[in-house]
Amino acid sequence: MTVKELAETLSLTVLAGKDSLNRPVTGGYTGDLLSWVMARLPENAAWLTVMGNINAVAVASLKDAACIILTDSAPLDEQARDKARELDLAVLTSRKNSYELGLKLAELLG
Amino acid sequence: MRELSLNVMDIAQNSISAGAKLIVIDVCEETKADRLTIRITDDGAGMTAEQAARVTDPFFTTRTTRKVGLGVPLFKMEAEMTGGSLSVASEKGKGTTVTATFVPSHVDMIPLGDINSTVLLLITCNEDRDFVFHHKLDSREFTLDTRELREVLGNEVRLNSPEVTQWIKSCLSEETQFIKEELTNEVFRGTSGD
Repeated sequence: MTVKELAETLSLTVLAGKDSLNRPVTGGYTGDLLSWVMARLPENAAWLTVMGNINAVAVASLKDAACIILTDSAPLDEQARDKARELDLAVLTSRKNSYELGLKLAELLG
Repeated sequence: MRELSLNVMDIAQNSISAGAKLIVIDVCEETKADRLTIRITDDGAGMTAEQAARVTDPFFTTRTTRKVGLGVPLFKMEAEMTGGSLSVASEKGKGTTVTATFVPSHVDMIPLGDINSTVLLLITCNEDRDFVFHHKLDSREFTLDTRELREVLGNEVRLNSPEVTQWIKSCLSEETQFIKEELTNEVFRGTSGD
């Protein structure tokens, strides 16, 4: 499944990285403590978090995540958005919380 | 990180990579002011003003193996999440000082954690460097200075020998207990009138 298909199925809004929506998503991860996530985020994962800052963009980029999904409508700050656009890293947003969205994601990726 | 002491370890590692011979770790807890200040000072290679201004940017690193450096940015974020701040002062050829302040009562405050173990590990794993650890808790404080230890022990005894390691460990533990005593006494005084 690609980031684009995920966005359509889960009604996510794309905030950055429109050109990388064809990346495959092979898994998911949830976490907000960045140092913790940094040690565990799988490659090509959709990362569900409320951390919309530049450090989160750095973690996703370092771990080569497929996308960041900001849950609970958590904000993406300007510096982070600009960097995500520069790196072409997909950042999406959902009104659902990480638990609710994680359940849906798990159903989709089986 | 789950403990601020792990951040201290990370920042001190930067000092070691910068060739520092002396690293000063200063932990100052002020209960009434609701403030924790952690300061790491080194005499390493230092940075230009431009470099120093950029170390809080995770996409700035002098490392060539990867493009992202999150040590200082995460430490800064953790401080700011509590309403505190982080600053970096550096001079090329002189050294660098990283100062982080925290508001311990904030709900997002990350505990200081086992700072003594961090200090012990830094000392014993970097025998060729000197460390000064200063821990102040309100009016009580203590300092451990490896230069003083070397002076007493002489050049033949290594700081990472089992006996010395054990001694440093006990010293850190006893001194910490001492500076925390007053705080405990104060709690008792505070409740005695109820």
